[in-house]
Amino acid sequence: MASKFGLAGGIPERRVRPIWDAIDSRQFKNALKLSTSLLAKYPDSPYALALKALILERMGKCDESLSVSLHAKDLLYKNDSSLMDDLTLSTLQIVFQRLDRLDLATSCYEFACGKSPNNMDHMMGLFNCYVREYSFVKQQQTAIKMYKHAGEERFLLWAVCSIQLQVLCGNGGEKLLLLAEGLLKKHVASQSLHEPEALIVYISILEQQAKYGEALEILSGTLGSLLMIEVDKLRIQGRLLARQGDYAAGTKIYQKILELSPDDWECFLHYLDCLLEDDSSWCNEASHHPVRLQKFVDCKLSHLTNEMFDSRISDALTFVQKLQADTSADFIRCPYLAKIEIERRKLLFGKNNNDELMETVVHYYLRFGHLACFTSDVENFLLVLSLDKKTELLKRLKKSSNSLSTVPIKALGQSITLLKIQELVGNLYSLPVDELERSAVQMSQMYCKNLPLSKDLDPQESMHGEELLSMACNVLVQLFWRTRNFGYIMEAIMVLEFGLTIRRYVWQYKILLVHLYSHLGALSLAYHWYKALDIKNILMETFSHQILPQMLVSSLWVDLNNLLRDYLRFMDDHFRESADLTFLAYRHRNYSKVIEFVQFKERLQCSNQYLVARVESSILQLKQNSDSIEEEESVLENLKCGVHFLELSNEIGSKSLTFNEDWQSRPWWTPTPEKNYLLGPFEGISYCPKENMMKDREANIPRVIERRSLLPRMIYLSIQSASVSVKENFEVNGSISDPKISSELKFLLDHNAKMLGCSLSDAIEVVLGVSSGLKSSEAFGADVIDWLNFAVFLNAWNLSSHEVMQPDVDGCRTSTWHIVNSLLKKFILDVRSMESLVCSLRFDLSMLVQLVTEPLAWHMLVIQSCVRSLLPSGKKKKKSGSADQSTSPLLHEIRDSIQSTCGIVEEVAKWLGHHINRSEDENLDIIFSSLQKSGEGEGPGQVFQILGAFISSNNETELGDGISQALKSWSPVEVARKFVAGQRTELREFLLICESKIKSLKALQQQMAQV
Amino acid sequence: MATIRRFCCNDLLRFTSVNLDHLTETFNMSFYMTYLARWPDYFHVAEGPGNRIMGYIMGKVEGQGESWHGHVTAVTVSPEYRRQQLAKKLMNLLEDISDKIDKAYFVDLFVRASNTPAIKMYEKLGYVIYRRVLRYYSGEEDGLDMRKALSRDVEKKSIIPLKRPVTPDELEYD
Repeated sequence: MASKFGLAGGIPERRVRPIWDAIDSRQFKNALKLSTSLLAKYPDSPYALALKALILERMGKCDESLSVSLHAKDLLYKNDSSLMDDLTLSTLQIVFQRLDRLDLATSCYEFACGKSPNNMDHMMGLFNCYVREYSFVKQQQTAIKMYKHAGEERFLLWAVCSIQLQVLCGNGGEKLLLLAEGLLKKHVASQSLHEPEALIVYISILEQQAKYGEALEILSGTLGSLLMIEVDKLRIQGRLLARQGDYAAGTKIYQKILELSPDDWECFLHYLDCLLEDDSSWCNEASHHPVRLQKFVDCKLSHLTNEMFDSRISDALTFVQKLQADTSADFIRCPYLAKIEIERRKLLFGKNNNDELMETVVHYYLRFGHLACFTSDVENFLLVLSLDKKTELLKRLKKSSNSLSTVPIKALGQSITLLKIQELVGNLYSLPVDELERSAVQMSQMYCKNLPLSKDLDPQESMHGEELLSMACNVLVQLFWRTRNFGYIMEAIMVLEFGLTIRRYVWQYKILLVHLYSHLGALSLAYHWYKALDIKNILMETFSHQILPQMLVSSLWVDLNNLLRDYLRFMDDHFRESADLTFLAYRHRNYSKVIEFVQFKERLQCSNQYLVARVESSILQLKQNSDSIEEEESVLENLKCGVHFLELSNEIGSKSLTFNEDWQSRPWWTPTPEKNYLLGPFEGISYCPKENMMKDREANIPRVIERRSLLPRMIYLSIQSASVSVKENFEVNGSISDPKISSELKFLLDHNAKMLGCSLSDAIEVVLGVSSGLKSSEAFGADVIDWLNFAVFLNAWNLSSHEVMQPDVDGCRTSTWHIVNSLLKKFILDVRSMESLVCSLRFDLSMLVQLVTEPLAWHMLVIQSCVRSLLPSGKKKKKSGSADQSTSPLLHEIRDSIQSTCGIVEEVAKWLGHHINRSEDENLDIIFSSLQKSGEGEGPGQVFQILGAFISSNNETELGDGISQALKSWSPVEVARKFVAGQRTELREFLLICESKIKSLKALQQQMAQV
Repeated sequence: MATIRRFCCNDLLRFTSVNLDHLTETFNMSFYMTYLARWPDYFHVAEGPGNRIMGYIMGKVEGQGESWHGHVTAVTVSPEYRRQQLAKKLMNLLEDISDKIDKAYFVDLFVRASNTPAIKMYEKLGYVIYRRVLRYYSGEEDGLDMRKALSRDVEKKSIIPLKRPVTPDELEYD
């Protein structure tokens, strides 16, 4: 980094190098010492100061670092003679960026560029600053200056990209594209283009303006030779022709691509689109490289006459036949799948060709039915068939499988495919229970029988027939849903654990276990399997949905905290470094990536999960600190008293959130917060497309974020309101309640009520009704927690506003304190009444956890705030002149509420203790008796028995050493033990939370005794 | 059956089921994005029907003089699409680009010494074990540096195996 003549920022390089070395090896103390002595010699050197600031920042002394770097900046500005060298600027830039003060870095470079307008290094630095700030307009202006100065192609393209960014990611109108086009045209006329990426950008600028003809012309001219990969060029040509409406030419191009790469499925679809003049796949630019899997059902075909359609289809068939004849390799599937697609289009056009369609699928099955991807290959085609036809297809496939391959691995593959198609067709629900059971048995038997096929495989390779156990699990879950017999779900767990004993890497089993264990209240075990999947980096964005919702309502705070922290750190790191990577793309002249990177960052910033995680990690902190009002207040202070989240809550409606979750890896029945099939009665389905699950989620999430992000502010206001009310009550010259707090809290309560679907007065009536027993608890619907939170905040607000009228019930005044007490008691003690825990579902437990850690915790904060105000500074004596407190109704209410709350938590703790201390044997008995098949009739246990029988017939020569050894280590008792321990972990954590609350409540009781 | 095209950022949101494989590493964002920003022609993805990600390859081109070479950083195929020669197709593409566009001398890759199935596959594709790198993987497992000569290395000098193993700090490139 040394500049000319061995000088670095005007200082001999030999003096600076040791400092950089110390920084690089993270010896910051040493670096600081060296930097201090350097400063003694060069006290006014901006570079020496910048270095010191850098070290201070790395040591975490941000304030000091900022003041030193500001000093360096001042010196840089003031001293005309001082060197405005690149090293000083870039060092300062690093410090300012790390201090999150991009604006200061930018102004340094702006100043430097003003001083020496033709310095390309400074201009490049300035451009980089604007990239970091996402200031597309200024980026453009700077790049143009550089282009004018140096005349290089790359700077022009920097400007063009900046223009494109204004249009695509900023608020620039499309007219700007004309400007970009003009710049490029002029440059091409005088200097041509030399970079393939420049050409790609040029074409995209034209394409965005629908100037397809011009783009095609350029592509077929000399510039076209910049694209070295022939297929890439043809693909662009085909797309442009199709978008232009020149379908005949488009068809030819796609035909050409298919001749070069006959297995290119997307290209075949485009070929058919062109042939049938269907532009639907090009209409929507956003559908290009979509994040979701594409489901193709609709096609635009109606504009063709019958004759035209027939003749085009016959062309297509001829072409496909030619492709089939030309390709000899037996793994090339596209020309065969193409036939099904042709039949599908015929069906959509209105030809009643169900039979032909099914026949082509059967043919495809005969050729490729043994492949694991067969089902996903044909999945989309099944969508056009009615349920009856699907069932018929299944029959035909089964019939054709009578002639299964003689190669055992192939035969196994074909059998598995049939089972997968059956699962996909979704008619399992119509089978009687005993037949379903047989199906699960058959799957497990097939798995065991075919294990010898995997004898010689490397332990890290996937085994033949692995899918069978996942499928057996799905069937057992279906049986559980139908019969509510706990044994089936336990059996499903055993099947998966058995599979993992043999092959510990099968992630499909682990995902299923995550959901089954979560559902049965063994969340720590679910989390264990989740961790075993090694989910990190971007996978956290796409995969966390499998565990995060369950964790958010659990008592496993430490694990939840890690989960949220790792995820938020990943996302925030990306947001921080994304601009530098964008600049890297600029520097390496990969312009199309510039646009992609910026769009991707925006996509992640709008991630629903990211917003949820941000809100929930703050709420988690609030929960964790709620037993001490002082700690809670410091958390709130860090959260700016909840103001930011309030803004988020207000904005959420106008934000378009992105949903980046990957649902493919998740079975359709797995519970989500929106839908938990396993809790409800059997709905007569055995398959539900995942799109429905996503739709529900997308509709629900903005509402959830809107509601949850109000919480921190409402907690803050409630604490304030409670404290003010006490002072007002008891201090003669006490502060008068702050009308702003009261009115804001009222406003938020009103808002909260609206989110619960009614007006404030109606909401008050509902809580009153439910608390007094006049209304059923059903009135709260699924929003129990939100309603109880509402009641708690209502009480806090009423303390200072006294607006809620208190009707007499049986001659007793019902205060809002009383409402809260009785609601908490009612709901918490209700849930707690569930009996056997080992086979109950975690839903009840998570509800209980939420009740105690949210509304009850917030209510405790209101109490703490009151008590603290009663005892102004610690345990000082009552202030003289205060009114007589001891008989005040407020004091009475507070004492009552403490006692009631404490009683509730003690009950919960007692109940938890009872379950935790239950003997392990008793729990194991429950589990194994649920798996005990009694007599000949229906019931769980058959699959479990098969596994047991298989183990006892363990044949080492047949199975090989690896599998045989693994089988020997299989222990169902160990599985059951871990399951019970897993359930206890969450209970224990919950008990600790309760104990801490009890302690805090007892302390409050004592404090009140002194009042 | 695969449409092979350049990998793009959105694919990072879609490759979950491929990366759940225990032998497929999920790198941090700057790693992927550096590859995309610098060597987009060396990062390709294969898509199947319904736009499912079947697998992908990421690599780069680097080195000086006769050690100018293509490097395979990762190649992976989802279990559903294995045993269909997809990895071969992806490898051939990268070799082609190294050979024809960048005029490199050879292509190399590192593989865990214990990953027998992968080593066998690379051997089938024409790679030879050039040298062993001691404790290359997290300071524990040895890695094998495998190479395949390209047309520019007429005498196939680049793939003459080294007689002794090397340590990670002796490697010319990361």
